[in-house]
Amino acid sequence: MNSSIPKLELAHWQSLASSLLIMIGAFAIAMPAAPARAQHVHPAPRSFAPVVGAAAPPFDLNTLDGTAAQLQTFHGKPLVVNFFASWCDPCREEMPLLNDLAVKGAQQGYNVLGIAVEDTRAAVTEYAREAKLVFPIALDLNSTVKRAYRIFGPPATFFIDRRGFVRDVVLGPITAERAREALKKAGIDL
Amino acid sequence: MHTKSIQVLAVICLFALSACAPEMVERAASHAAAVVHFGSERSLGRIDKNPSTPFLRYAPDGRLFAVWSEDHDVLWPEGKHAGGHQRMSGDRSPSPMRNVFLAWSADGGGTWSSPTRVNSSVEAVQGEENGPKVAFGKDNKAYVVWSIPGAKGDKTRANVRFAMEDGNGDFTPAGTLNEIKDAARFPIIETTPEGNLLVAWIDRRIDNPKPRQLYLMRLGADGKALTKNYQAGEGLCECCKLGISFADAGKTVYIVDREVDANKIRNHVLRKSTDGGKNFDAPVEISNDGWQVPSCPHSGPSIGRDSRGRLHVAWFTLGRLEQEAGIYYSVSKDGGRSFAPRSLIHANTAPETLYNHLCVGDDDTVYFAWTNLDGDNKAQVYLRTIAADGRTWSPIQQISHATGNASRPVLALMHDILHIAWTETDGETSRVVFRSATVNR
Repeated sequence: MNSSIPKLELAHWQSLASSLLIMIGAFAIAMPAAPARAQHVHPAPRSFAPVVGAAAPPFDLNTLDGTAAQLQTFHGKPLVVNFFASWCDPCREEMPLLNDLAVKGAQQGYNVLGIAVEDTRAAVTEYAREAKLVFPIALDLNSTVKRAYRIFGPPATFFIDRRGFVRDVVLGPITAERAREALKKAGIDL
Repeated sequence: MHTKSIQVLAVICLFALSACAPEMVERAASHAAAVVHFGSERSLGRIDKNPSTPFLRYAPDGRLFAVWSEDHDVLWPEGKHAGGHQRMSGDRSPSPMRNVFLAWSADGGGTWSSPTRVNSSVEAVQGEENGPKVAFGKDNKAYVVWSIPGAKGDKTRANVRFAMEDGNGDFTPAGTLNEIKDAARFPIIETTPEGNLLVAWIDRRIDNPKPRQLYLMRLGADGKALTKNYQAGEGLCECCKLGISFADAGKTVYIVDREVDANKIRNHVLRKSTDGGKNFDAPVEISNDGWQVPSCPHSGPSIGRDSRGRLHVAWFTLGRLEQEAGIYYSVSKDGGRSFAPRSLIHANTAPETLYNHLCVGDDDTVYFAWTNLDGDNKAQVYLRTIAADGRTWSPIQQISHATGNASRPVLALMHDILHIAWTETDGETSRVVFRSATVNR
């Protein structure tokens, strides 16, 4: 009686081992070869959207006339930053409004800065002449500022208060009413 | 009894896993396609003229052609520059004038002919998404289209220009194809199988209520108009390039574009003609991405057709959530009546509009090239393939190593030689980069 127990247990363990071998074999058949690693694939960030309430990312650009355009030089007054391109249809449509805002800004104590993205000096210079732009235009030739402000493409307008914090963002074309609302958030009541 | 149960369980597991095995192997294969090994980089055009926006195409005689734009020599005269803040400090303004150049290679891109200027008069030739395109007649004659700003210099109210080789090594004087001036841009040109030319563009002669229309016209091999301009569709996004493909000896024409609806949702559609481009069926939505964006992303789709008649389309979208942003792919196996659910080729690595192009090989492998940001936040060109089985994807390869940014990749394929070209910009300079690879071996 006592001797039959170990025999049964041995058979049991042999059977279990053979079953495990079958399962391991099955996995070996089914499991793929290690997939080739994709190269240079970066995980997408959690959010691409510009952040209202955060400090505006600093920039260091030059305007068409060669003047330095740095965010810090605008501190002390609210700043409207408009990202645009000479080839951009809605950008052209909103330029008369931005020109108007720039004229009012000179009287009301805020600045307007255009930042040309994905464009060339020649094309932007020609466009500024054609559109009779009255505010300074900076060239973001390597898209570094555009990427720091996290916009997919022009037009996009940022309203920055006198301390350098983003108070409102308009992605896409802007209207006069929306501009008034955004300026108010940046500390300007038109 | 217990032992038998374990054995039965093991056998069931074996069968179950065996049944799963093909799918798992397929999944593994979906990452197992070989990478493409490109040769060294070559430059096209004159570096000091900032060449950009290449387009590649093979002529029937096997020569590879490239068309691109470059700065014109002259600066604007004194006093022509902008006033106020835009005045250049004591200097003359740079000229927006650019020229179209065409060059060919008879050895698969190893060496190139001297570039020939295509535009007869000095013009502000447009580039980027709106760059020049070339097609070839059966006699290898080159036909080129490009866009120039309208009379007031407005790029968005532009004109489509056309010139063809004159048989003496030069080009005919350029003519404007759009009958309503200052209303057309983003032209594409294809030679129809019967030897005529089909030109399509985005037109804004009717600004409301649904902006931007698809306009076409036909030209003979002699460059003379066979038709007037005619509308073939409406609701097009205002500045995204078009894609075109032919089938059935030219009877079937497929055009893909980014459409914009009343809610500013910009999905892509396929427009199909079965009478050689005279009439088009109602557009078929390729994918309901639901990207609602108030302005045009300036990045159009690409289309290619394989030997089995399947239509392959690639495009850029943000989708409904920014986390969906990326380059996508779909295929139609029923001649454009329906499309498979989209597949992600590469997710956006940062907020950036991405640009894409695809081409289809003799073995029905589809090659995709696109831009995305690398770990240093610089735009680079990437490549990936999907095999003829429709499942086997290659790894993503980075093809460019730009110190500034790489953009607007374009592909061309002749049998087992794959070519890729793109524009690299760094500050105020640009260049066209070209590379080749042997595939299908």
